[in-house]
Amino acid sequence: MESKPSSSPPNFIDQQVVPGDVVLDLSTMTNQTIKLGSGLRQDGDAISAIKAGVLRFAKPNKYWVESSQKRYVPCAGDTVLGIVVDSRSDNFLVDIKGPTLAFLPVLAFEGGTRRNIPKFEVGTLLYVRVVKANVGMNPELSCMDASGKAAEFGRLKDGYMFESSTGLSRMLLSSPTCPVLEAFGKNLSFEIAVGLNGRVWVNAESPANLILVANAIMKSESLSAVQQKILVERLLKRVQ
Amino acid sequence: MEIDRGDGRKPNQLRPVACSRGILNRAHGSASWSQGETKVLAAVYGPKAGTKKNENPEKACFEVIWKPKTGQIGKPEKECEMILKRTLQSICLLNVHPNTTTSIIIQVVNDDGGLLPCAINAACAALVDAGIPLKHLAAAICCSLAKNGRVLLDPNKSEEQNMKGFVYLAFPNSIQSVLPEGSLQVGGEPVEHGIITSVTHGGMSVDDYLLCLQRGRAACEKLSVFIRSSLK
Repeated sequence: MESKPSSSPPNFIDQQVVPGDVVLDLSTMTNQTIKLGSGLRQDGDAISAIKAGVLRFAKPNKYWVESSQKRYVPCAGDTVLGIVVDSRSDNFLVDIKGPTLAFLPVLAFEGGTRRNIPKFEVGTLLYVRVVKANVGMNPELSCMDASGKAAEFGRLKDGYMFESSTGLSRMLLSSPTCPVLEAFGKNLSFEIAVGLNGRVWVNAESPANLILVANAIMKSESLSAVQQKILVERLLKRVQ
Repeated sequence: MEIDRGDGRKPNQLRPVACSRGILNRAHGSASWSQGETKVLAAVYGPKAGTKKNENPEKACFEVIWKPKTGQIGKPEKECEMILKRTLQSICLLNVHPNTTTSIIIQVVNDDGGLLPCAINAACAALVDAGIPLKHLAAAICCSLAKNGRVLLDPNKSEEQNMKGFVYLAFPNSIQSVLPEGSLQVGGEPVEHGIITSVTHGGMSVDDYLLCLQRGRAACEKLSVFIRSSLK
């Protein structure tokens, strides 16, 4: 093997990684605490990727692999859209597109007591917050925010829910506002709830507007900002 | 002494490879992999709650269903399912989602030789598409031994039937790393030299087998480069 001139080690930040790539070497980073997000695993002193995606870094010390999937990996603190599958005496079983069903305690509502337990039928769509998500346990949900207020959590009435990928949800929730939503917001009025588990709920006054917004959002995952604006302009011209 | 292969390939030349992911709407992950005329479609559903009866609940469970192009499901399909299940179990991380089942369904679209390696590659691409946590990827290939002792890579069906023996091999993909070269080693050899799966048909001597391994490894390094570029 010929000797190569020594070059600086490859930097994987903002690069595509595949499972197995070793992206960080902890032995060169002493006296630092780093936080590993989804898609990375520690193997002794080497941090390797377990999913295919783009490696991202946020100051001061967070690393994660960004990828878009149809299923969701529950994380504490996320807001998701769940569908009630069953109700027990002390919690509701809610499907959040994860590996297991999640539990929503019957008392996890603002001002919730044993006397005023909400009655959710099977199939009810809820906007909830993930409180705990540990390996091997069912995730726990809540319809209150961290301070105990209702804050828009709970049942979503009317409207239309569709499923897409987690990458689209993150794009819709990014700041500054996603171009599709901004362009629609200037011309139509609609309500939207985005779950980080790949579910999106939209509501508008007329069904035509509702279908327009829903279809445009579904198409916009792979489009750039300029393409999204052009798509929205074309659709609005056809309607008005 | 040049061997004339039916389609004019050199002994070490693979058939044209094509891979596309995300082709099935309802599956959580899907991929189609074709090598020459052999084409396989893989779909992944999961992880879903619950494991099968006798499986360890502290680990994730995998279930493989092999659907042939024609005919009923019999013993050869069950054998392929078992080989694929063991291969995929060794590349997946089993403790990330304990007590869950992931189903992988393989549909044979066309069989023109080298079916099992094609299925392993397709299943691996489908697992990546579904976001199942993996230790590393698998690249699989078929090496065959001709009657005059030459090793031919990736034979098609007519070539396979005239061979003294052939072996399906799966290797880990070549990884890019920030560690200095030579630090990720097991027993003095880099990780890419490990074998995941080896299935032999027919008979060959030990030296021939080792030669097949060597050629197969080199070809799988090229396949790894292709897999990496197709995952962009």
